[in-house]
Amino acid sequence: MLEQSQLHAIESHCTQESAPRCRTACPLDMDVRTFLECLAADRGREARKLLERHLPLPGIMTAVCDHPCENACLRRDLGGGLAVSSLEKFCMKNVPPQTKPLIRPPKKQSLAVIGAGLAGLVTAFDISHKGFSVTVHHEGGKEDALLAAFPSLDRASLAEELNALETFHVRFVQATFDEALLRQCSTDHAAVFVDASACALAPGRDDIDASTLLWKENICCGGWQSRTPTGAAYASASAQAGEGRRAGITIQRIMTGVSLVAAREGENRKNRLHTPLDGIPPLPRVLPAGEIYTAEEAGREADRCIRCSCMQCVKECPFLQKYKEFPRVYARKLYNNASVVRGTRTANVIMNGCALCGQCEEICPERFSMADLCLQARQDAVERDVMPASAHEFALEDMAQASGPESAFLLEDPSLADGDRHSRTMFFPGCQLAASRGDQVLAMYRYLRKTLPGGASLFSICCGIPAHWAGREKLFQEHAETLRRQWEACGKPEILAACSSCMSALRTAMPEAVITPLWTKLDELMPEPFAAAAPEAMNVQDPCGARHDKAWQKAVRSLASKAGIRVEEAKRTGEESACCGYGGLVWNAQPDVADALAKKRAGEFSLPVLTSCIMCHDRFASETETWHLFDILPQTASCGTHQEKDAPGLSARRAGRAALKEKALEEFLGEKPASRHDEEPIRLHIPEQVRIAMERRYILRQDVVTAICGMEKSGAKFINRDNGHILGSWRPRNVTFWVEYTADDDGSFTLVKAWCHRMVVAGATQPVEKVILEDKVHA
Amino acid sequence: MSLEPNFTADDGDWICSRCGVPLEQIKVQALYMHSAFDVILPRCPSCGLTLIPQSLAEGKMAEVEALLEDK
Repeated sequence: MLEQSQLHAIESHCTQESAPRCRTACPLDMDVRTFLECLAADRGREARKLLERHLPLPGIMTAVCDHPCENACLRRDLGGGLAVSSLEKFCMKNVPPQTKPLIRPPKKQSLAVIGAGLAGLVTAFDISHKGFSVTVHHEGGKEDALLAAFPSLDRASLAEELNALETFHVRFVQATFDEALLRQCSTDHAAVFVDASACALAPGRDDIDASTLLWKENICCGGWQSRTPTGAAYASASAQAGEGRRAGITIQRIMTGVSLVAAREGENRKNRLHTPLDGIPPLPRVLPAGEIYTAEEAGREADRCIRCSCMQCVKECPFLQKYKEFPRVYARKLYNNASVVRGTRTANVIMNGCALCGQCEEICPERFSMADLCLQARQDAVERDVMPASAHEFALEDMAQASGPESAFLLEDPSLADGDRHSRTMFFPGCQLAASRGDQVLAMYRYLRKTLPGGASLFSICCGIPAHWAGREKLFQEHAETLRRQWEACGKPEILAACSSCMSALRTAMPEAVITPLWTKLDELMPEPFAAAAPEAMNVQDPCGARHDKAWQKAVRSLASKAGIRVEEAKRTGEESACCGYGGLVWNAQPDVADALAKKRAGEFSLPVLTSCIMCHDRFASETETWHLFDILPQTASCGTHQEKDAPGLSARRAGRAALKEKALEEFLGEKPASRHDEEPIRLHIPEQVRIAMERRYILRQDVVTAICGMEKSGAKFINRDNGHILGSWRPRNVTFWVEYTADDDGSFTLVKAWCHRMVVAGATQPVEKVILEDKVHA
Repeated sequence: MSLEPNFTADDGDWICSRCGVPLEQIKVQALYMHSAFDVILPRCPSCGLTLIPQSLAEGKMAEVEALLEDK
């Protein structure tokens, strides 16, 4: 399970929650983006509320602020930074005050401010609003210092703000600024703030601690002049106000006896938010026709805000879009999910919805990996035995079938069978290519045997990647060990893999093995162009498992080019390629996400698409014209099936693997199977729409056949007296299958519908005799 | 009146094939992941063979299964 520190490290890679540049540029932490959003949506009251919440002395600040946010704005080169200053002025003038701060009885401690410049007044504002009384000392009139620094300030509104301050226990006292006053204040008050813009006693900015602005004892300073890049001095309202606020925090800590330095890192915000600007058209700044914006003009100007936000991974991934958040939040949810002891683990769906394809990591400027996060969460859930049983059960059963006696086989090159010699190469097609394209696998094997020096063996089995994806590391390791033993027994041949997931699983299982993509080897074996009945121009889908495998990607393009195909690169190829929805077993855990992934990716192709992974092919086939490399290669094209729009279903895949085994053993070893895999004990007809519905529920043809056989034998079934339909169930494993069918006159059966559930209900499963017995005992 | 949820067959007049008797709504127990619920389902009064309608399996039952798996 993740430690909290690990969570924070992971979270920090997602910058979506980081402040936009306008906000990090503002020393007062003004939420400019939301302010603009409110104005653009004609929600002036909320906009004003934000000004009042973030800005001290809002009437003064909005009038004199030098708005560093406008320079920092990413719109700067796309029509000009947002006119935040003018919009704030518009808001203050046109929207009445929205908040009425609570005036609390003054606390015991008090603050003395020496110098009524902007920094001093901001400190007075912040501290008085925390309930401390404040005495502001000034030379001359109380407005003089501010008016000298900011001559454009309107006297009336200034007087109004200062009067408002007085209602918050702020007292203005005329005084002569000298050492005696400073000493007196330091003794009489809990803390003192010296405004450098109005009082010559203050030290230089470089002479005091920049993070606390503490000068000595209980005295803080702020309000210095700023310098332009050319060295001219000027009063920056935002900088001075920011210093007043920063000193105010220190002063409050002095008064409440809290560490002056602890947990203040957040005050120095950095620009971390990545905002992609591609495709954002320039829009010129809206200029007010009069002196100040009208509501309509303000709305239009505010609407120019590009609402800085990263979301680059989310824009590309239907899974990340599904739960309407972004990786940082997902990381937190998964962490909380893992901490649940009793209660509902609501983020299980997040953990199991990721295709583990790694695209987000490639797109993310900070390389945030949802795949690592989700895989770790799965492994943790499996270890603690809280993984939802149904999430990957079917996929793991499929792995068992592909690795079991029905389908798996290792065929040593028959020409080397006499003696102890082994072939130098091993063709590893992968269980899905075997399931989908058995005839082509055999054709390719014939070619490799004939062509490769030193012979070739054929190893058809699952590589174990489903176990890894399901978070079942123990199962993955056990499977890897089996593969390794068989590979060693074959004399450690070079492995030719036709599936990128197999490549990664095999590389983990046997790191010392030489594992080459089949396509790279074929590209070497076939230096000359060859004829292919393929489209003239195609897009290429790089499988997510091969996103870092440049050799794989290059070989596929080279073979395509030799076939006379002009490859036009689609959006996001190579490292940034998107998943078809097979990865990470999301097709099993959340078929809706898998379908959305396939649909989205298929929609990004403008030409027929060439795949080198059979699952990419099979998942895109119903969406767009899709070809697998086997469909264009001369060795395999003639027995191809690319014209079929629909890929084989789950039952057909299992049957396909079994058929491949039978054919291979018969062709190369002359072994006749005792019974053929496709010989069923009953004749069963499944209408196409019923078959499609079964696929969606992971009900296999074999399950239906066995259920009907069992029911017909035991008689444990129901009859519908209205239409003669027969209904019954069978529970071979953790699922109960229900089949409703008709017994036809010719002795065959027709399936009407099939459904399933996982709950156990006494009397609802075969063998019914046993259940009834148990039932009676309980009764 | 019983408080347990009551689910009847989706459609049709179903009888138990072996016993030849119409089904009756009888209380049975459904079990999943260490939880048990009483439900009333069409059942053969003679041999106890119990019918789980498709609407229940793919509706309420699937919902409860998912909920219990996340517990």
